[in-house]
Amino acid sequence: MKDQHIISLIENTSFGSISESDLQKIKAHAAECDSCESAYAAARLAAVMLRERTAETFEPSPFFQTRVMAHLRERQAANTWSWDRIWRAAGALASSMVATVAALAVLTFVIPDVSNTGELVEASARNAYSVEEVIINPGDSLEEDSDGLILKTLYDAAEDTVK
Amino acid sequence: MADTRLRHPQYFDARRLLSQSHEQASDLELARSARAGDESAFEEIMRRYSPRVFRFASRFFRQRSLVEEAAQEVFLKAFTELDSFAGRGSMEGWLTRITTNTCLNLLRSAKRRPELTVSNLTEDETAWLESNMGAAATERHESSERSLVAADLTDRVLHTLSPDDQLVLMLIDAEENSVKDVVKITGWSESKVKVQAFRARRRMREAVEKLLGRKPKASATAQRVMK
Repeated sequence: MKDQHIISLIENTSFGSISESDLQKIKAHAAECDSCESAYAAARLAAVMLRERTAETFEPSPFFQTRVMAHLRERQAANTWSWDRIWRAAGALASSMVATVAALAVLTFVIPDVSNTGELVEASARNAYSVEEVIINPGDSLEEDSDGLILKTLYDAAEDTVK
Repeated sequence: MADTRLRHPQYFDARRLLSQSHEQASDLELARSARAGDESAFEEIMRRYSPRVFRFASRFFRQRSLVEEAAQEVFLKAFTELDSFAGRGSMEGWLTRITTNTCLNLLRSAKRRPELTVSNLTEDETAWLESNMGAAATERHESSERSLVAADLTDRVLHTLSPDDQLVLMLIDAEENSVKDVVKITGWSESKVKVQAFRARRRMREAVEKLLGRKPKASATAQRVMK
């Protein structure tokens, strides 16, 4: 027993649960081994300390239940409020998305038609030349004394002469 | 907006009758009623179990405010997890598990204290250690003042250990729960509980040996490694 240290006997189980036979072995060894005697004393003291610690207990205060119930109601209200907020935010997001889609649809299908028609009317009003004239002289369609106009004048003059 | 029912005397009568009927109800019935939104049923659960929850939380915290905080968190969690209480086990066991986890989380979130040395001890603590060195572990004739010193010192030593170490020491060595009970309470495996308890005892013993001004004896494992 002298060479067998008793540390594992102390640490395997709680101090209060050490059997009487093991306790005798521990004491016998500790009497001959300084380091084990110190470990045994510390383990015994640790057991006393833990037992002293359990002697202290708090009781619930008279307002404890009221406080917990108030917290519960607060939490529930906060949860409901946050769900309300989420639903409202989701509603706002959905309606803004619908509005955006509608605006894009208007821009895509309605406004380009109007602008194209307007441009065409405007262009035709601005352009006083016939198709032949444009083909004959595509570069100078807007010039007043274009080659086409001169040719037309010449043709008209020739016809008058024949008549 | 104030609840108009609160001004009505019949409301108080109804509540009183309801709470009287809850006193005879089983834990499972109370849990079902509370789940259905009956606040007085949950109040009855708190009335029944708050002393135990407080006692259990007192093992881990010495300030009343911390114990109250832990207990409050336990009941708030219990209310939200009422669905998980199916009545297969006892409500006491169910609440003990919630209390253990809550206390463990609070211990983990707290800053761990540095190692305690002899020079950190107060005169009273040193005196207590010296006087208890020779006393047998089974003997106990402490005055309340000396018990307070001992509890203070124990708390300081425990807070130098990890939260898991504190938990097993409190559950097994202080509260005298069996390993199987601790397995149920913590949800850890049996081998983990045993190993954790073994290591926690060693660390606690080493911490106390340092306070006694002695060089801690190496554990059997450490001795084998040295050989």
